[in-house]
Amino acid sequence: MWGSQILLAVIGVSAGIVVAGGLFSFIIELGVVADFADRTHTADKILLYEDSVAFGGILGNLFFVFQIEIPYGFWLLPVFGLLAGIFVGCWAMALAEILNVFPVFIRRAKIVRYIPLFILSMAIGKGIGACLFFFQRW
Amino acid sequence: MPSNQTLYLKGERNIEVTKQDVTLGDIVSFECSDKTLIPKIKALRILKIRKSGKQRFVISILKIIACIHEKYPGLEIQNLGEQDIIVTYEEQKTPAFIWHIAKTAVVVLITFCGAAFSIMSFNNDVDVTKLFSQIYELVTGNSTDGFTILEVSYSIGLTIGILVFFNHFGKKRFTVDPTPMEVQMRLYENDIQTTLVEDASRKEEELDVGQSNSSGGYRS
Repeated sequence: MWGSQILLAVIGVSAGIVVAGGLFSFIIELGVVADFADRTHTADKILLYEDSVAFGGILGNLFFVFQIEIPYGFWLLPVFGLLAGIFVGCWAMALAEILNVFPVFIRRAKIVRYIPLFILSMAIGKGIGACLFFFQRW
Repeated sequence: MPSNQTLYLKGERNIEVTKQDVTLGDIVSFECSDKTLIPKIKALRILKIRKSGKQRFVISILKIIACIHEKYPGLEIQNLGEQDIIVTYEEQKTPAFIWHIAKTAVVVLITFCGAAFSIMSFNNDVDVTKLFSQIYELVTGNSTDGFTILEVSYSIGLTIGILVFFNHFGKKRFTVDPTPMEVQMRLYENDIQTTLVEDASRKEEELDVGQSNSSGGYRS
């Protein structure tokens, strides 16, 4: 009985450490937060942003794994949705940026002007796509 | 005129100036065995900004050397720093403190919610709940009730992993290394600076020798 509990604990701790390393290096190395800090000229606060990411990860995981109920959740939900949406949007674009999607397409298609238009249409496309996905209950 | 002396200069890659007359002393630092020479060279004007508003100039180190040679021909100059220097001109203004705080707060909220959302979507995506119950059954033989040592230890492990990865909690650092985000921030700034320099040289806007735009003929 105790043996299996200890084994489970070891599995759990190691799984948690590895998942944290993988997921959070994915967030940081894509430069999402560095991007935010640069855009808002608040690079002096990056340690705070790191704390914020760490807290978000820790609490988010606790809420998910233990299914904790949040008071006033109904009012917090749209705020959370908006902020998480901004983050994921930047994340998706940062991923595309790291994979050099834009330079490759721009070079292949010989696009030299109107690049902001393509970016705008991509943003609108992603937004409509997400709406369609949720509207159809996929 | 000392002719057997060497003037060493070293510049940072990115300089911010707030006055319209940019002298050499504003953008590079100098060392010379003839100490009387340094203040004279520092006072030489390299750039006169005519327009107001925020703008950028990329100055080649050759332009700076040419500027010194104009006054002191025969002086030997050694560059120990960057080869292209980005000069950003911004009018002096006290940044609104409240605005800075507000922006920081928004970024803190976005990163907090984003990280929470990411870990939850990851857990959901790989179906951690189901995997935990499978592991639990494999190890103990009993079915899980969803709240076992495995979930608790996973949460502890995740917390340890995040803190070890970020290498600090609050102001307390675990080692003297910079944190991953500090490294990433520098990399990002480096990329931006490289882009600015290469853009300027490709558009031939860089202030270099052999060009007429000696006083900042910057096209925007």
